[in-house]
Amino acid sequence: MNSDKLVNEIEAGGKAWHSCSPFPFQWLFHISRVLLGLVFVYASYDKILNPHAFAQGVYNYQLLPDVAINMIALVLPWFELLLGLCLLFGVLLPGTTVASTGLLVVFLGALVLNQIRGLDIHCGCFSTEIQEGPAGLGTVLRDLGFLAVSLYLLFFVFLFKRRSGKTCRPQSMQ
Amino acid sequence: MKETNIPIFQALWQIPLLLVVACLIALAVNYQRESPLSLIGDWSGSARLTNLAGDNMAIPLNEAKQLFDQKAAKFVDARPQQQYEEGHIDGALSLPWQDITNKFMESTAQLKEQDVIIAYCDGESCELSHDLAVFLKDMGFANVRVLVNGWTVWITAGLPTQKAGAANEQ
Repeated sequence: MNSDKLVNEIEAGGKAWHSCSPFPFQWLFHISRVLLGLVFVYASYDKILNPHAFAQGVYNYQLLPDVAINMIALVLPWFELLLGLCLLFGVLLPGTTVASTGLLVVFLGALVLNQIRGLDIHCGCFSTEIQEGPAGLGTVLRDLGFLAVSLYLLFFVFLFKRRSGKTCRPQSMQ
Repeated sequence: MKETNIPIFQALWQIPLLLVVACLIALAVNYQRESPLSLIGDWSGSARLTNLAGDNMAIPLNEAKQLFDQKAAKFVDARPQQQYEEGHIDGALSLPWQDITNKFMESTAQLKEQDVIIAYCDGESCELSHDLAVFLKDMGFANVRVLVNGWTVWITAGLPTQKAGAANEQ
C-alpha cells in the first residue's frame, strides 16, 4: 500500500485500521461482526413491529420503574437495529462494540437475576410471542455466546486500532 | 496520533450519537403509528387488566367479598400447587397457571360457563391470575374477573381462608 495514502487514511479518522494491521484472523473478525450484526437486526425486528407486546415483556422482567418501561420498549429495539446495521456495515465500530457488549451484559444480568428470583418469564429476546418459551438456562448460555463474540470484536477493535497506529505509521511520521 | 483517533474517544461520542438517533427514530415512528405506545405507561394492577375496549377485568375486594358471601362466585387460585396447599381463599379451586395443560380438565369440570370466576394470585405485579383469566375467557367462560394481589388483600382483610385438607381457618 502506498505510504502517503496510508497516512491519509490514518489521519482521516481510523479508517485505515481495517487494512493495515498485522493482526491475525481478520476474516474471523469480519465473520463475527456480520453474524452479531444479523443477530441484533433480527432481534430488533419483531420488537419494532409490536411495541405494546414488547413493553409487556419489559414489564415482566420487573427490573425497571414503571415510568421507564415504555420509553425503553420504544427506544431499545431501534438502538439494537442501529447497532446491528453498524456491525453489518463496519461503521462506528468502537462505539458499537462497546454498546453491544454493554447491552449484552445488561441482558445477561437481567436473565440471570430473574432465574435466581425464580420468576417464570418469557425472554422476549427475539420475539414478543409467548411461543418463544420461558427463559431458562439455554437462554442464558445463548446470551453468553453472543457476549463472547461481542467481547472478541471489542478487543479486536481496540487492540487492532492501537497496533495499527504503531505498525502502520511510516518512519517519516515517527 | 490525534486523540480523536483513539477508539475509546471515538466510542465516547459514537454511543451517545447512536442513542440519540435511536430515540429520534423511535419517537417519530411511534408518533406515526395507528395506536402509539404512550411514552409513560400506567402499569398499575388494574390498568394492566383493562383491555383495548376499556373492559376492566379487575374486581375490587369489597365486590369480591360480597360475591363470596353470597356464594355467587367461584374463586380460582393461579399460584403453584404448593402455595395453594399452604393456604388459599376458602373454597377456591387450584388451577396453577404453570400446570394449566394438566390441571385444566380436572379443575374446570367444577366450573360452568356462566359462573362468575375470580382468579387470583399473590403480589401486585403477579401475572399468573391475569394470564389465567385471559385463558379462561378464551376457553368460553364469560364472567372472569381478577382480584389483584388477591391472596395478600384477602388475608389482610381477615377474610376466610383454608389449608389443603383442613377445615376453614376463619
